[in-house]
Amino acid sequence: MPLPLLERAKEDGITFVLTPKKSRPDRLYKISLLQVEEPAWMRPLQQGEQYRFHFDMTKCIGCKCCVVACNEQNGNPSTINWRRVGEIEGGWYPNTKRFYLSMGCNHCLEPSCLLGCPVDAYSKDPVTGIVRHSADTCIGCQYCTWNCSYGVPQFSPERGVVGKCDMCYGRLQESQAPACVNACPESAIQIEIINTEQWRREYAASANAPGLPSADHSVSTTRVTLPAEMPPDTKKADIHRVRPEHPHWPLVVMTILTQLSVGAFANVWLRQAVGSSARLGLAAVASLLVGGMALAASTLHLGRPIHAYRALKMWKRSWLSREVLVFGLFSNVAFAYAALLALKIPGSLAAGALTTLLGIAGLTCTARIYMVRPRPAWNSNHTLLEFYLSAILLGSLFVRAIGVTNGRWTLMLVLASAAAQLLNQSLKFFRLVRSRSYERQASARLLSTTLVPLVLCRGALLICGGMLLPIYATGLSGMIAALLVSIAGEILGRYLFFVSVVPKNIALSYLSTSAEAA
Amino acid sequence: MNFRRQIGLDILQEKYSYGQDPSSGYTSVQKIPDQWIATTCGYCSVGCGMFIGVKNSCAVAVRGNPAHPVNMGKLCPKGLSEHYTIEADNRARYPLLKKNGKLTRATWDEALDTMVTKFQDVQKKFGSDAVGIISTGQLVTEEFYTLGKLVQLGLGTKNYDGNTTLCMASAVSGYKRSFGSDGPPGAYEDFEKADLILLIGANIAENHPILCQRLEANHNKTLIVVDPRVTKTAMLADLYLPIKPRTDVALLNGMIHILIKHELIDREYIDRKTTGFEDLEESVESYTPERVSSITGLSQELIYKTALLYAQAEAALIGWTMGVNHSTQGTTTVNLINNLALITGNIGREGASPLSITGQCNAMGTREAGFASGLPGYRKFDSAKDREELAQLWGISADRIPTSRGLAYPDIIEAALAKKIRTLWIIGTNPIVSYPNIDVLKQSLGNLDFLVVQDGFHPTPTSELADLVLPAAIWGEKEGTYTNSERRVSKVNRAVAPPAEARPDFDIFLALAGKLGCREELFPGWTSPADAFEEWKRVSEGRLCDYSGMSYELLEKHGGIQWPFPSGSQEVRTTRLYSDGQPFETEDGKAKLISVDWQPFPEQPTREFPFVLNTGRTVEHWHTRTKTGKVPILERLSPNAWLEMNPRDASALKLRPHDHVDVVSARGRVHNVELRITEIIAPGQVFLPFHYAETNANQVTQSAFDPISREPNYKQCAVRVEKSKVVLKDRI
Repeated sequence: MPLPLLERAKEDGITFVLTPKKSRPDRLYKISLLQVEEPAWMRPLQQGEQYRFHFDMTKCIGCKCCVVACNEQNGNPSTINWRRVGEIEGGWYPNTKRFYLSMGCNHCLEPSCLLGCPVDAYSKDPVTGIVRHSADTCIGCQYCTWNCSYGVPQFSPERGVVGKCDMCYGRLQESQAPACVNACPESAIQIEIINTEQWRREYAASANAPGLPSADHSVSTTRVTLPAEMPPDTKKADIHRVRPEHPHWPLVVMTILTQLSVGAFANVWLRQAVGSSARLGLAAVASLLVGGMALAASTLHLGRPIHAYRALKMWKRSWLSREVLVFGLFSNVAFAYAALLALKIPGSLAAGALTTLLGIAGLTCTARIYMVRPRPAWNSNHTLLEFYLSAILLGSLFVRAIGVTNGRWTLMLVLASAAAQLLNQSLKFFRLVRSRSYERQASARLLSTTLVPLVLCRGALLICGGMLLPIYATGLSGMIAALLVSIAGEILGRYLFFVSVVPKNIALSYLSTSAEAA
Repeated sequence: MNFRRQIGLDILQEKYSYGQDPSSGYTSVQKIPDQWIATTCGYCSVGCGMFIGVKNSCAVAVRGNPAHPVNMGKLCPKGLSEHYTIEADNRARYPLLKKNGKLTRATWDEALDTMVTKFQDVQKKFGSDAVGIISTGQLVTEEFYTLGKLVQLGLGTKNYDGNTTLCMASAVSGYKRSFGSDGPPGAYEDFEKADLILLIGANIAENHPILCQRLEANHNKTLIVVDPRVTKTAMLADLYLPIKPRTDVALLNGMIHILIKHELIDREYIDRKTTGFEDLEESVESYTPERVSSITGLSQELIYKTALLYAQAEAALIGWTMGVNHSTQGTTTVNLINNLALITGNIGREGASPLSITGQCNAMGTREAGFASGLPGYRKFDSAKDREELAQLWGISADRIPTSRGLAYPDIIEAALAKKIRTLWIIGTNPIVSYPNIDVLKQSLGNLDFLVVQDGFHPTPTSELADLVLPAAIWGEKEGTYTNSERRVSKVNRAVAPPAEARPDFDIFLALAGKLGCREELFPGWTSPADAFEEWKRVSEGRLCDYSGMSYELLEKHGGIQWPFPSGSQEVRTTRLYSDGQPFETEDGKAKLISVDWQPFPEQPTREFPFVLNTGRTVEHWHTRTKTGKVPILERLSPNAWLEMNPRDASALKLRPHDHVDVVSARGRVHNVELRITEIIAPGQVFLPFHYAETNANQVTQSAFDPISREPNYKQCAVRVEKSKVVLKDRI
């Protein structure tokens, strides 16, 4: 659709405005259809206004032109779709209804992608309200992909950064309609201007639709026009397709090793506090090495490891930044603690206390990263508890294996943490099963069907490494075996943690969209 | 992946940056071409105008032509990604000749010499008609015209047909029987002007989505959709008729019955323009609403309402596609549709037409200019006058023009099975996926002495069986014209060169004519499609499909021109056939009302095969996926086939969503189809899209053909559904 060209009338820093140009491109001949009217959005935005998408479900025929046009506009490979079309269906033959949901980014008033980003790669454009993402700034941590309930930001392995719909910001600047709007044969997608304060009062009625996650989380601005009548049983077409999520192996390793390291330092410090001194220096140095490995593993998760340090930037806002900051401090203090211990320099007890405190704070930050609303199975204190208990179990076994102690107290710690972990996981599963949230139920379904062999194996490893071996295998080799078996158990547990989460998302199509072209 | 990318210094910023294209605006730099070449889409017969963006001699982008009267700048998802078909890695690049059981690279000379020798040997031994040709609906009209002459006059065989018999033949036969000639009378504009639109067996929202913007633009319409499946189009309807499979003949007879009984017919029009009304009246006598209701499963109220709405409309449009054509009663169903339009005078007026919505981009072109089921220019084999006229135009003896058509597609296959046809030349089609009951076809092709496959793609399931593969240029690589469903002739242009040694079909035909020694006689001085176009214009002059006023320049300027466009035409405007004063193409100038009796579809469900299998399409794919299967975004959006089954049937069979099932008929088995349990489909019926060679619906479809058009009955066959024993991992 050729649109009247606009020009930027004024440009002073950020508050430029758009006004229509006079002339239209000449048409070759008269067209009987689709009178080209000047879209209402082609006027200057005023203070307190922003652009938004309007999706008219009554018009959409599910042709997916918008998806193809979006990929072409942005030169994206087929595996990345900044605009997606989902299906919802209900009714009984012959009164069956299927509707489609075409969704790009919702350019939320409270964008959760932006709030979680550790490097400030996101910005909410002060004039247009468009949530923009800077690939240059992004380090590819993918935290935003967990924070968006709509599944909008997508990580590009090819580039090592995330990308998302920017409402064709560049086109809007030139007064051209976005690619999806242009491509839609049914005019089902449009750009509108809204007053944000007014929208804040009204969004609940217009931004929610069957097949969409609640707009409350981030105050989505997309307005959806729903059909007047919708069968009461209308639901997502892809509701039965639940598949394990990405395991994020570097994060599995990183979280397990940091937890081991923190737990080990805490144990070392506790031993020191009660006056023991056997192999404490060795244990501290070993714990430090493990912590270092964890740090190295964490950068492997990033699309752009070289820019890992940037993650410190948003510590006031992002739990990921805080994690990086606290573990950064932890590793420095832990280094000092290990050095003081090893060289037997005074003051180590205080350093140990600080190390332990920072470690606990670090674990808490890590857990908070996962406790986000779009990932319901993670979003509970079970996550926090799981991480603490892993730290206690692995840390205690670690110092025992190094020979710091083989006393009753650490054994009790081991047994108690293993038992608590078993209880924690069972309770979590039970609550997932009982939940009324689709995503939590789906997680439970995954754990009790596809993943059940791994779940049983994880339980067996926990019991074996955290209870049986520590009790019955008392020699050093037994302690090492208990440690290794428990590490394997916790790694498997963490793997299950990652793959069994079912994120919130928009309704997708019935057929899997994961297949790549031949 | 390079090191700088691994550590994150390089994020391919350049590749993923944006720039301004003077035509398409701000867009990815990957999609900014050096130039835009105007052309017409090469998929379906909607005939959308578009541009191909060419950069460094590669097709990198497409965009709809906003000034094109068909699509106003819009394209469907296939059109929007059409440039990927050109760059696909399964393009045929070199002539390949089977030597010692293996296809090996050959020169064009060697390939064509071998082909001519093999064909002539067979003709010497078994008669000239022992050579069969199966072509397509996807060449340009110039090529169809050239191919027709080459086959009938050069090769001297009349056993030539196209894959159009698998999709449009019933519409063609129906038009010919009712109106005396092929040619859809309406125009797309009718979708906007009609106050009643009746779609029968046509899921245009899925298959012709660009036509839906016309529906959307028409605010005064009542849309009635007749379909056994609640399709996307059915969901758009104001009135939906969930008819039992293949009972539309009864419904149409029932509607005619009601209209006659209640005097809702146009007596004046019937008397003035038609013959056969008395017979029709008698034949619908027994189609009382009660009986029709019991046959169709529709309530009497619904049947009455549909009939009354149709009769009361100022201008009523009937559109249909494969739900009607893919049937052993396809032709006669078309006749009934025409009857309904004729007795209410809903033809030849704005918004009023019985409009067959065609399938392939240039199925119409082969119908007009081809030389297979008719003579070029809608002339008739059995008319001495028509043969004489053509002979004069061509400067040959009329004796050389056959007096009857050769074998139709299914009969060519049958003849090859019986070894009456010994060599076959398949052009631009993939029967191993698209032909019904393929095991019979495989046996038939296995019986051949020599199989030539000329295609833009290799390997395809069909080209793999060939003794000779001729690599052809495809859309975007050659010039000519396409005719769309509303008789609009549009220009097709070459944007890039064909890959490696592939050649336009036109060049291949001329080269073959050279080898056969008939080039100068049949194609004197021809070098480019424009030469064929000029001759075709003369041949079409004075015919219903009159091209004589057209030129490539005019077509380019107007984004296509509807025929008839006789020489001297001043104004380019929307045209309709059989408007006031224009006689029908019958001897007496009157349309024939044809009486038809309903028959149940041939293979009824049984205890062993309790389901009725319906087949169809999805918007992302085209035919047998030789093209769209290589377009990554389309594969992503629709990666595999699915079988739709009603929840009641699924629970009886203890099947769950996403289970993998086999579909079994008396003829074969489709393995490992993903099950979709949905209320879209009626209990007792299942639906399978036919695009996927991996799960080929034609493993189970039947060899049942319309006796008049020879079109296969793809739509209904009896099957059972079983849970797959072996689930292929890659499809989970």
